[in-house]
Amino acid sequence: MTGLMRAALWCAALGLAAAVVTYPLYANGYYLALGISVLYFTILATAWAMFSGPTRYVSLATVAFFGLGAYTAAVLGETMPWPVVLLAAAAVGALTAGITGLSTLRLSGIYFVIFSFGLAELIRQLVIWYEVNIHKSVGRYLFSAVTQDILYWQLLGLTAIVFLVGWLLGRSRYGLALRAIGADETAASHSGIDATRIKLGVFILSATFMAMTGAVMAPRWTYIDPAIAFNPTISFQVVIMALLGGAGSLFGPLLGVIPLVLLFEVLTATLPNHFSIVLGIIFVVIVMVLPDGVIGLFGAGRWRVRAGKPAAVAVRPMEAPLLAVDGVSKSFSGLRAVEGVSFTVAPGEIIGIIGPNGSGKTTLLNTLSGALRPSSGTIRFSGTVLNGLRAHQIARLGLARTFQLVRVMPDLTVAENVAAARLFSTSNGSETTERELLDLVGLGTVQESAAGELTYIDQKRLELARALALQPRLVLLDEWLAGLNPSELETGIALIAKLRDRGLTIIMVEHVMDAIRALCGHCIVMNAGSVIARGTPDDVLADPKVVAAYLGGDDA
Amino acid sequence: MLLVDIILPGLVLGGMYALIALGLTLQYGVARIMNLSYGESLVAAAFGAFSLYSGLGLSPLAALLLAVPVAMVLNWLLYRFLLERLMRRGKDRGAQEIDSILVTFGVLFVIQGAMLVVFGGQYYSYSYLSIPLTIFGSTLAVNRLVALLFAAVVGFAVYLALTRTRIGTAVRAIAVDANAARLVGIDVADLSGLAFAFGGGLVAVGGVLVSMFLTFNAAMGVVFTMKALVVVIMGGVGNVLGALVAGLLLGVVETAVARLVDPGLTLAATYALFLGVLLIKPTGLFGRAAS
Repeated sequence: MTGLMRAALWCAALGLAAAVVTYPLYANGYYLALGISVLYFTILATAWAMFSGPTRYVSLATVAFFGLGAYTAAVLGETMPWPVVLLAAAAVGALTAGITGLSTLRLSGIYFVIFSFGLAELIRQLVIWYEVNIHKSVGRYLFSAVTQDILYWQLLGLTAIVFLVGWLLGRSRYGLALRAIGADETAASHSGIDATRIKLGVFILSATFMAMTGAVMAPRWTYIDPAIAFNPTISFQVVIMALLGGAGSLFGPLLGVIPLVLLFEVLTATLPNHFSIVLGIIFVVIVMVLPDGVIGLFGAGRWRVRAGKPAAVAVRPMEAPLLAVDGVSKSFSGLRAVEGVSFTVAPGEIIGIIGPNGSGKTTLLNTLSGALRPSSGTIRFSGTVLNGLRAHQIARLGLARTFQLVRVMPDLTVAENVAAARLFSTSNGSETTERELLDLVGLGTVQESAAGELTYIDQKRLELARALALQPRLVLLDEWLAGLNPSELETGIALIAKLRDRGLTIIMVEHVMDAIRALCGHCIVMNAGSVIARGTPDDVLADPKVVAAYLGGDDA
Repeated sequence: MLLVDIILPGLVLGGMYALIALGLTLQYGVARIMNLSYGESLVAAAFGAFSLYSGLGLSPLAALLLAVPVAMVLNWLLYRFLLERLMRRGKDRGAQEIDSILVTFGVLFVIQGAMLVVFGGQYYSYSYLSIPLTIFGSTLAVNRLVALLFAAVVGFAVYLALTRTRIGTAVRAIAVDANAARLVGIDVADLSGLAFAFGGGLVAVGGVLVSMFLTFNAAMGVVFTMKALVVVIMGGVGNVLGALVAGLLLGVVETAVARLVDPGLTLAATYALFLGVLLIKPTGLFGRAAS
């Protein structure tokens, strides 16, 4: 781009900004009202996409927060100074989002959609009940000196703030963490991301903006009752606009807001009675035809996080057992999947866990990594008791894992998958960069590809790189070598040996006995939930009990 | 007899909820469509029954014979031409669910808009078999009992169809694991469409029966959708018995809150119950643990 073009673009942007800021000075009543509509839907849709875009938790509760803000303004507007009213509205929105989010965000996606769908209705009912029984009148009058011009400028200020916050959020580690959660919540929490807290935080942030928008808009109506403040159509319009524009990017929703506000305006003017039919049809068409939104047509993707911060495969001094598992059991309502398993792992050692399918190996790993809580027994990891800690906490302590059924975050790039595991890393030893980690597992050339496009084997490699990015002291490999062809197997075994030589401790669940023989100094054999043998690979594989477990007893 | 006054109408209401939820179980549990326009279909059926009764003098029970096939065909068309594409497009179950929620949200507005155009926003009701009857010292209209009886018969028939026939078994197999069902030679797309259509038929039954004793208007669908969803999720997705128990529970709790506390707080009670169950048992009262 030449300097002249750049200057012209800057001039155009400045001119546009000036035109937007001075709009009330030259726009008359009708066009000013239209401008106000565009702005408040822009804030709502952008705030909606801030949370729902990356996490894909579709929230239909926009109007719950918007209405609460408007109602707060109606209740306090006449007695308190305006900045206090705005802050109070923000606080009410944040508090409600906090309470509802705390109880619903830990549930998986679909329950959240349904709850948010009814939340607005619930809050509206509670407000009506309060107004009828306590306040003794349903509606409230709000007389204020706020003119349309001031309203416009307030909204414009809020719009600028919502874009600024969205931009900062997208650039921060929380932005990538949110997208990692949206792509695969389990993999994200095993990469040290506290999924519940981050979702809750951004949900509250988004609700705060919605509530403030409601408060700013309240003086526009003069008379407010629950039917106006909690009009469910608003939630619906916000979702359409954000989806039409593209919820995955910061300015996507804006691209949806402008055409749809204009269209709704035309529709209410020309087809007032058929408004909702047309609205519904438009919505169906948008979802069917433009799943990624308008911005998807231009291929303007999300913000990519560049690989930057260096990572390390930590080398630590040898000490007493790194992991001590003592009498761990796990039962699922009557079925005892793991029963009284004890073993220790010394630093720098590779332990193999073998046993027939269904013997409880993966369940055992799940209790170690925090995916499951052991029913009894204790697990100590370098002195810390892991029982009851959640997956992301265990990951941050330096216990990483891969999954038997490979879990990458499909929409994120290879480099982002690795970066996601380092977002909340607490240690700061630094020798190995992300690039080096990817080179180590053989993915150095595909850093910018989407992880979902990799072959199965490469996804397994990526999982390992992501686990290593946590700078772990102990890695749990759940059948990481399964499905590899002979030459890949050789490379894979060499890679694990190399990791051990760098000081990493490894527990591997594996059916490939050649790998167990080549790598493990010690292994334990499980059958029906219990340990039936332990020792060197050659010894346990010769043990008659082990042979019987794999091949059936003599009487067969 | 306050207790009977609560339990009896509570069970009648709960039986209706269970029937309505049964249809949603078929649509969501089997066809994997989270149909947000479900309540609108119900209200549309109620308007249908109202029109036939007030226009042609046709009894609501006879209207069922017309309403159910019509609803089934419409739902089948909806599935075939709109929803099935989404099912094929979605990468995983999560994406399919979100897409189906969004599309049926649009359908909700289309149906609601059409009803508003035809019937306007006011409340409707008609008087059919509203003869008071005293049972255990509590007074109940005959139309409610007839509705409950029909709901029980239809519900039981569906239960038998699902558990005692080949097609019913195949449908339940899809609900458990669509991919595994495909592997044993079940035509998942066809049967899902059928289950979706049947779900639509059941909601038409619910709408016609409800219209016999409730006042309704064009904007009421959302409330029914919410309650059906709450019942389905509380009972455990795809679980017929769970839906029955959850439906009855919801009916009794709502009636109790309306009688003892305040009729304006029934929805709040619904949500409190829903949240309570979800927080204690996220897979529902009778749901299997998701692995």
